[in-house]
Amino acid sequence: MIDLLVSILSNPSIIIALIAGLGLIALRKSTSDIIKGTLKTLFGFLILQQGAGIIVNSLIPFSTMFTEAFGLTGIVAEDNAIAAAVQVVLGKETAFILIFSFLINVLIARLTKYKYIFLTGHMMFSFAATMAIVLSQMGLSSIMTIVLGSIIQGISMVLFPAISQPSVRKVIGNDNVAFGFWGSSWISLSGWVGGLFGNKEQSSEDVKVPKSLDFLKDMSILMGIIMIIVYVVTAGFVDTDTMNEISGGINKYQFAIFEALGFVVGILILLMGVRMFLAEIVPAFKGIGEKIVPGAKPALDVPIFYSYAPVAVTIGFLAALIGGLIVTFMSSLLPVAVLPSVIGLFFMGGAAGVFGNARGGLRGAIIAGFFLGLTFSLLVALAYPLIGLSEYGISGLWFASPDAIIVVIIIKLIGLLFGVPL
Amino acid sequence: MYILSVCGMGFGTSLMLLMDIQSMAKEHGYTVDGEATDLGSAKGKNCDLMVASSEIAAELSDENVPIVSIDNLLDKNEIKEKILPMIEKLYKGV
Repeated sequence: MIDLLVSILSNPSIIIALIAGLGLIALRKSTSDIIKGTLKTLFGFLILQQGAGIIVNSLIPFSTMFTEAFGLTGIVAEDNAIAAAVQVVLGKETAFILIFSFLINVLIARLTKYKYIFLTGHMMFSFAATMAIVLSQMGLSSIMTIVLGSIIQGISMVLFPAISQPSVRKVIGNDNVAFGFWGSSWISLSGWVGGLFGNKEQSSEDVKVPKSLDFLKDMSILMGIIMIIVYVVTAGFVDTDTMNEISGGINKYQFAIFEALGFVVGILILLMGVRMFLAEIVPAFKGIGEKIVPGAKPALDVPIFYSYAPVAVTIGFLAALIGGLIVTFMSSLLPVAVLPSVIGLFFMGGAAGVFGNARGGLRGAIIAGFFLGLTFSLLVALAYPLIGLSEYGISGLWFASPDAIIVVIIIKLIGLLFGVPL
Repeated sequence: MYILSVCGMGFGTSLMLLMDIQSMAKEHGYTVDGEATDLGSAKGKNCDLMVASSEIAAELSDENVPIVSIDNLLDKNEIKEKILPMIEKLYKGV
């Protein structure tokens, strides 16, 4: 009986569904809403794991191709896929860090003048998974991983919004909301750099962006195009015999295109799962946070800033993509080849454009986007040796959130003091 | 009454927008069901109303339900001014 309970409570999908159910009960929802919400959370979590499986499977042949073609390891920076893929091993740690870090965040907001409640759900999930991976790899027990991980994440959920708030004020003109996104520090820094070299007189919003670039707003299309290019170019560099072994005799370009599409489909399924499980959890968190913390300021996802300078979003993204590609072409000098990671470059580059425009106009937006794409990709490449993911059967993926990577570096340095090698 | 809120990914800003709409509607005595979704999945979904930020709303042009475009997602007044009349109209129309 006890064994069964332990086994049930070690299953992350059940923990997450229970959290959602308890949240809905706390908010005094109707019985049908509670049943619906709990089940949808459970479905969402299981869908997300299936998506991760597809992504990991489409990256295995790609990693082999890339190594054969260029003699390097190639990675795409994408947190959600890693978080979902490690659930089999670190599911219960991730789930408990997710919930306890939120409670610590609420506690800090209640007791200090920093009233930020971090509400970007998928980021809470990926950060929790990152903490679980790092701390467990440093040899900590499951309980210690949960305790330390929750404390570090709870502090980060208040600290990073606090760091970026001066920049947020520059963009939105008030302090009503904060920036809850694990790229906030880097985006603020990029905006500041854009302000140094920019010119506020000429706003990015006076530029006419061609309508034909509108398709960039649809993530799946953009990612499909970029991934097909990356896979096909890689396949082109692999010699035919080796390629035949990898593809099982299918024409190498056909194989490359469909593996690339498989990757995107995996991402789409993963995101559908993320949507389903966040739809229940985030409102519960928001309700609880607002009940406990008077004057709570929600820390929200990055697109809230896009409407302040929509043109700067496109400009920032394109500049970031160029910056990222430069790092991809420098791969031979770096520990790893960072492939253009569309989601990260789009959302962070776009925001860097907005922040750069607020401080330095059009030129500020271009410089901020470029700086972000270049330095973010460099950060990923240089930090790559710090965490290996092969023990979870993951190849071709690595972490994408600058704030989380900074925290990981700090944890590793503190670990050194306690005699844990990097 | 079912509202679809749309953003690029379908779980960040659209979810916040939906929660803001639901709490605003509740203050005025209306219960609104809905879901947050991404641009790719929004097409052809069954709903009474679609709501999105202005840059996303431009992509939703050929739907056969009303589409409300919000310029500033953080402006609760704008959300109320644009959406409350629609909710009232839908309720009266039923």
